[in-house]
Amino acid sequence: MGARFHIFKEALRTGVVTKKYPFEPVKVPEGFRGKPSIDVEKCIGCEACVNVCPPNALSAEVDLNKSVKRIILFLGKCIFCGRCQDVCPTEAIKLTREFELSTLTTNDLYQVVELKMAECEICGKPYATIRQILFMAKNVPKDQRPLLLLCSECRSKVSAKYISYARW
Amino acid sequence: MSIKLFMKSLWIFHLNSGSCNACDIEVLNVLTPYHDVERLGIKLVASPRHADAIVFTGPITREALPKAVRAFTAVPEPKAVVAIGSCACGGGIWYDSYAIIGGIEAFYKILREKYKVKIPPTVYVPGCPPKPEAIIYGIAVLRGILRQKQRRTYFTEEEVPELTKDLIINIEKYMESKS
Repeated sequence: MGARFHIFKEALRTGVVTKKYPFEPVKVPEGFRGKPSIDVEKCIGCEACVNVCPPNALSAEVDLNKSVKRIILFLGKCIFCGRCQDVCPTEAIKLTREFELSTLTTNDLYQVVELKMAECEICGKPYATIRQILFMAKNVPKDQRPLLLLCSECRSKVSAKYISYARW
Repeated sequence: MSIKLFMKSLWIFHLNSGSCNACDIEVLNVLTPYHDVERLGIKLVASPRHADAIVFTGPITREALPKAVRAFTAVPEPKAVVAIGSCACGGGIWYDSYAIIGGIEAFYKILREKYKVKIPPTVYVPGCPPKPEAIIYGIAVLRGILRQKQRRTYFTEEEVPELTKDLIINIEKYMESKS
């Protein structure tokens, strides 16, 4: 009888450890790597995150007919490593502390960002997103900035022409 | 699409279909006194014939495929499926490996084409591995207790500045006016 009473007292002292999770919100620790989400206002479509993503959860596709670029994030492949957050030049992609990601269809696990692309002034080929060019322009000397309006092939041709003029 | 079939307890059968054991540990974690899903009527059973729902962890490997099909067909109707982890949802880090068939979606495709099986309601719990709370949340979504938060988002640019030489040369002024 005494031993039983002792156990009962011990249980009362310890209390209930079970979390009441689905009925009460749970505290997520600081620095928890949860759902990555793209800030659509900041994203410039540079594909740095696409290059670095180990399971290719982030992918990019270029639609030449509409001249748009799509950055596609599929959570069904994401391993929550946070590399995309490290390389993003504009801090657009960040790992939030959100973990309640369950869905009833895989279609809901996608986030798509569609950005308009600039077309080359000479050949008319879409070559980079407009946001990317605006982001780059600050770091380029003023006299060379018009070259940003050309695709890489046309740019090399035009700059080669400039160099040959300068020599003669 | 949430099911109202299992109004009382939900007995689950856990099948490791080629997982790395991280998701398995989280499934066991859910059953400990700390999270204690038995208070919600969720119980782990030893045989698929006793189960209401089947839990897949891991991308379904080629070696595990025949066993997964046998276990899946052994679960009596009506049944439900819980895909735990990024691997089970879409292949995860192994998405382009020769040794896997690529998650539950690909598994369903095989079932539909070869075995003519009806596809049960499925909940996908992404995470690598998912938190124990995330697994409880997934089952709550499956049973229609909680509402699904995650939705597909599609962003398209509306206003874009026209790229001209003046704009590019005086980019600092444009940035100031914008901010």
